[in-house]
Amino acid sequence: MTSPGTLFVAGMNHRTAPVAVREQLALEEEKIREVLADLSGRGLLDEVMIVSTCNRVEVYGVAAVPGEARTAAFGRLGSHRGLAWRDLEPLVYTVTGEEAALHVFRVAASLDSMVLGEPQILGQVKDAFALAQSAGTAGPVLHALMSQAFGAAKRVRTETEVGRLAVSVSHAAVELARKIFDGLEGRAVLLVGAGEMGELAARHLVDHGALPVYVTNRTWSRAQELARNLGGTAVPFDQLEATLSLVDIVVTSTAAPEPIVTTAQVRTALQARRTRPLFFIDIAVPRNVEPAVNDLENAFCYDIDDLRSVVEANLKERQREALRAQALLEGEVVKFAGRLRQLEVVPTIVSLREKIEVIRRAELERAIARLPAAGEETRRVMEALSQAIVNKVLHAPMVKLKDSSRAGHARRWTEMISELFGLRGPARPDSRE
Amino acid sequence: MNAVLYDVALTAYILAAAAAIGSLVGRRDQLAWVALLLTQAGWICHTAAVITRGVELGRLPFMTMAEVISLVIWAAILLDFWIERRSRIRPLSAFVLPVILALGLGLPTGLRSIALETPVRSGWIVVHVALVLVGLAALVLNFGIALMYLLRERQLKAKRTGAFYRHLPPLETLDRLTVGTLTIGFPFLTVGLALGVLSAPAAWGSLLTFDPLALFSLVMWLIYTATLLGRVMGQWGGRRAAYFAIAGFCVLLATLGAGAFLHGRHGS
Repeated sequence: MTSPGTLFVAGMNHRTAPVAVREQLALEEEKIREVLADLSGRGLLDEVMIVSTCNRVEVYGVAAVPGEARTAAFGRLGSHRGLAWRDLEPLVYTVTGEEAALHVFRVAASLDSMVLGEPQILGQVKDAFALAQSAGTAGPVLHALMSQAFGAAKRVRTETEVGRLAVSVSHAAVELARKIFDGLEGRAVLLVGAGEMGELAARHLVDHGALPVYVTNRTWSRAQELARNLGGTAVPFDQLEATLSLVDIVVTSTAAPEPIVTTAQVRTALQARRTRPLFFIDIAVPRNVEPAVNDLENAFCYDIDDLRSVVEANLKERQREALRAQALLEGEVVKFAGRLRQLEVVPTIVSLREKIEVIRRAELERAIARLPAAGEETRRVMEALSQAIVNKVLHAPMVKLKDSSRAGHARRWTEMISELFGLRGPARPDSRE
Repeated sequence: MNAVLYDVALTAYILAAAAAIGSLVGRRDQLAWVALLLTQAGWICHTAAVITRGVELGRLPFMTMAEVISLVIWAAILLDFWIERRSRIRPLSAFVLPVILALGLGLPTGLRSIALETPVRSGWIVVHVALVLVGLAALVLNFGIALMYLLRERQLKAKRTGAFYRHLPPLETLDRLTVGTLTIGFPFLTVGLALGVLSAPAAWGSLLTFDPLALFSLVMWLIYTATLLGRVMGQWGGRRAAYFAIAGFCVLLATLGAGAFLHGRHGS
């Protein structure tokens, strides 16, 4: 039961291994469940879970000898596709102890992702943990690790802007709209043209509550089709100018060689809108909206380059924020180390309590047997007496154990107490380097 | 005693302004909290200062120009708390506090000279001062928000990203709040000034005696009236309204300056 193994992470990701290798190791859930059961069955690992996504294959585990465990795990993963450990070895990184914890926290908080701060990875790690739990291969260390990692990831998400800034053109369009408008709920959108990126931007706007949506296109049937997809209304192309004054946001992505929205048209539309702003998102090249529109009061016009430069600035900002997130995670590792140390003394405390309880029960039964005349009252008093003695005697060692775990030298005390009370098997030597 | 409390309050405001600006430019959320706490602490001290001053002098504590400015600041900060709470506009204090400090830095000296003789005031004049004071507080906020509007608008037009890109509220919110603060402040100012005009003959004997403060007040009132009218007509929104808010506030400063430094009927 005493599990003095070392926490380790062994894996490969988009930086260390080409996709040709990663895809060979990416297994479906059922296969992973088999691998987990097999690995823990061999007794090399006390606990194990496997995170497998398109960008990474990682084994998180607790083992007496992490090196052996890693070889076994990747050998087993590779065996499905006939990959031997010696082929994989140069691609696999291994870290142990606090470094391993930091790595896991970075993965969960999406600091290790290809697109810094992308939100999917946390869910994937959660799924991987749930799988290990259902396979029965997750123990106290992985439990502590994961609950700390999920908390840390949440902190990174709320306390830094790593995942908050838009890093795609269509999301940047939404982000900008929200800098102009006081919320997007109920804002009317006009989509001009059937370009894919325009449709995507319109869809994001709709997802944020924008409505109603008007769609116009030179080809009437295409306009109708798009309108259906977006839950909007198709408008004939020659009504474009009239529709301008009805909407708050205009997304253009036609293949027209000349601007189709002119400064004069926008000026007229703005007059009808009094002082409400009008936002143009021009994703087309060549541009669909005359650039001078941006000079009109209350009109804002962003073309594809403007949107891209917002994305670039946001990416840089995410990197700056990642530094802050890293510092935050390092603090979480310190907290985790403390938790782990407490975990170290738990098995000793439990077996000490169990052992004494067994003795107490046995002695109590024997004493009662010698008192045939003893009534319920006597029995209760003796029960309470034995309980009180046990608690008083155990109090000091328990406190000492907990203190020592906080101070970081639990090992000495767990060994000493195991020795003194003759608890099951002394802790395995040389396990925590 | 009250002068010491004023000094403490003012120091807290100065530190809060520094923290608020630091949090906006340096993008540190913790600093925003520091700013908020300091402002709250300062405001509590300020409240205590106003009350002790009233008790120590045995009269209402807004009879001299310095006292009025102090109470304008007090009310403006209260309003700032309210707007920040309701609209969740955190960086507002980064814009409002410096404005308030510009008003407040002349205060301690003015407040120490408690020997100022105060003429007997009629009840109407007390109401006049109180109403104008609330109006001015709202207009201080109006100015701070208009400033934010212009920065936000400029940044959006120029397509620049930076501290302002991330932390300023949406343009529309700012526009709405500029109108809102003006709508709150204007009735108070109008009724307050009207009371002043009506009670002037009683206090000074004649309405037409030259008084720099009264003159500036009139100009200020005209500017704000024009802003509001332009808005109602539906033409002067956004940037134009913001420019008007700033012009109005400049005259407001001149008005208070006239009251504090030029000798007229309002005393100094």
